[in-house]
Amino acid sequence: MAEHFAEPVRQHLYSLNLGPQHPSTHGVLRILLTLDGEYIVEADPVIGYGHRGHEKMGENRTYLQFMPNTSRIDYLSGLLFNHGFCLAVEKLAGIEPPERARYIRVICAELNRISSHLLWFGTYLMDLGAFTPFLYCFDDRENILDILDRVSGSRLTYSYCRFGGVTRDIDDVFIEQTRAFVKRLRSRWKDYHNLVTKNVIFIHRTRDVGVIDKDLARRFGVTGPNLRAAGVPFDMRKVEPYEVYDRFDFQIPVGEKGDALDRYRVRLEEMEQSCRIIEQALDQLPDGPYRQERVRLKVKPPRGEVYFAFESARGLTAYYLVSDGSPYPYRCHVRVPSFGNLHCLTEVFRETLVADAISILGSIDIVVPEIDR
Amino acid sequence: MGYWKDIVVGGWSLVEGMKVTGRALFKPVVTVQYPRQRLELSPAYRGHIELKVFPETGTHGCIACGTCQRVCPSGVIKVQGVKQHARGGKVATHYVIDFTRCSLCGLCVESCPTQTLQFSTEYEMEGPSRWDGVVDLVTRMEESRS
Repeated sequence: MAEHFAEPVRQHLYSLNLGPQHPSTHGVLRILLTLDGEYIVEADPVIGYGHRGHEKMGENRTYLQFMPNTSRIDYLSGLLFNHGFCLAVEKLAGIEPPERARYIRVICAELNRISSHLLWFGTYLMDLGAFTPFLYCFDDRENILDILDRVSGSRLTYSYCRFGGVTRDIDDVFIEQTRAFVKRLRSRWKDYHNLVTKNVIFIHRTRDVGVIDKDLARRFGVTGPNLRAAGVPFDMRKVEPYEVYDRFDFQIPVGEKGDALDRYRVRLEEMEQSCRIIEQALDQLPDGPYRQERVRLKVKPPRGEVYFAFESARGLTAYYLVSDGSPYPYRCHVRVPSFGNLHCLTEVFRETLVADAISILGSIDIVVPEIDR
Repeated sequence: MGYWKDIVVGGWSLVEGMKVTGRALFKPVVTVQYPRQRLELSPAYRGHIELKVFPETGTHGCIACGTCQRVCPSGVIKVQGVKQHARGGKVATHYVIDFTRCSLCGLCVESCPTQTLQFSTEYEMEGPSRWDGVVDLVTRMEESRS
């Protein structure tokens, strides 16, 4: 349709504020659109509404005290952020967690990844106007929250990992529930595909919409499922395996074109791969202690710095910590994936319809508090 | 040809979707009708903290060392204690928490050297004033005992 407007007559440009409180802007995000009729000429994301100063907070509290903050940076994949921070500090201070703790962390992190993707699935389709899938996937997601609640005591802001282990051991009930959940989720794929993937309205609203190709992704530092949808098999779990990810057999799903439909497919396939990782981890789960004998309340890493990158649900995330030998980090920087993912929209939004903009914004799965942090 | 095929395939996809929702109509209800129905709490549930009463001594074991006060990321806890005997250790007389600022990380419970802190199972703690979140745990414990 856009070819009819190949050279739009830009006489009546006007501005439209998308957000900061629009239901489809995911958090408090404002995008300043310049429109020509219904076509977007320019898009300017305005961020910073949810700034809480997490990095500065990290600098004036001890390493352990920053742990609850990490699950609030990205509230949808809190456990993954906990996990990453824990690994960064362990690398800095040279702490070796027991084998069982590593497996528990991986299982819980992958469960958290699935829950994050399920929430994206629901909210994205709600942006597109489909309300029913939202209810189905929240039903599934509730199972994960119950499982994680049982072991960590919290549904969203877990702060479950500790330096050298986790807070609570998992038991047979947890293993049983997790296996049952994986089985249940697998049985749901057919429903999801029948309801959404094959749906003609959904396909028309996502196919060839918001193409993020390899070049664009590289220029803006787009990572995660958005990059993989463009056909680049880049995943920190495979590229630079951390924890025990090198012991599992899983694939990195990639797309072809990098449009919204590819991003959808990649995320759905990723949930299946996470299920595979969980199953293998449960099979290989060793016995032993779930945390180190001595509980470390005050970690004093030696002078030095560490950059630790891991894969959160939205892409490459990293902690950069500088230690001056005191119990407080000298610098605590968090690299978040959503920043790059959001800012490539300035290019992607050009020459698209406002209705497509909503679809694109939903499909890249941003968490705004993570950008503002 | 493609036009008609699109209509037929697209129309059928909508029917398939309706089948899924139709089947869901006959599945059991999964939502819990909250005020009337209640779920069982998780054994690891993290509510606000409270002082544990040890049956051997009949009271809490807080020695007012202040470890929890120092480890708390949000500065929620304030402990005061006195020496009851010249040679004995301190015993907490006031243990005030400001629950409105608590981030429920559980570091205080983990750090307690006498294991006298535990999570309560309360979860309906709304109130009209911000001072409703400020609780003296020693008074609370004594009230619950009497």
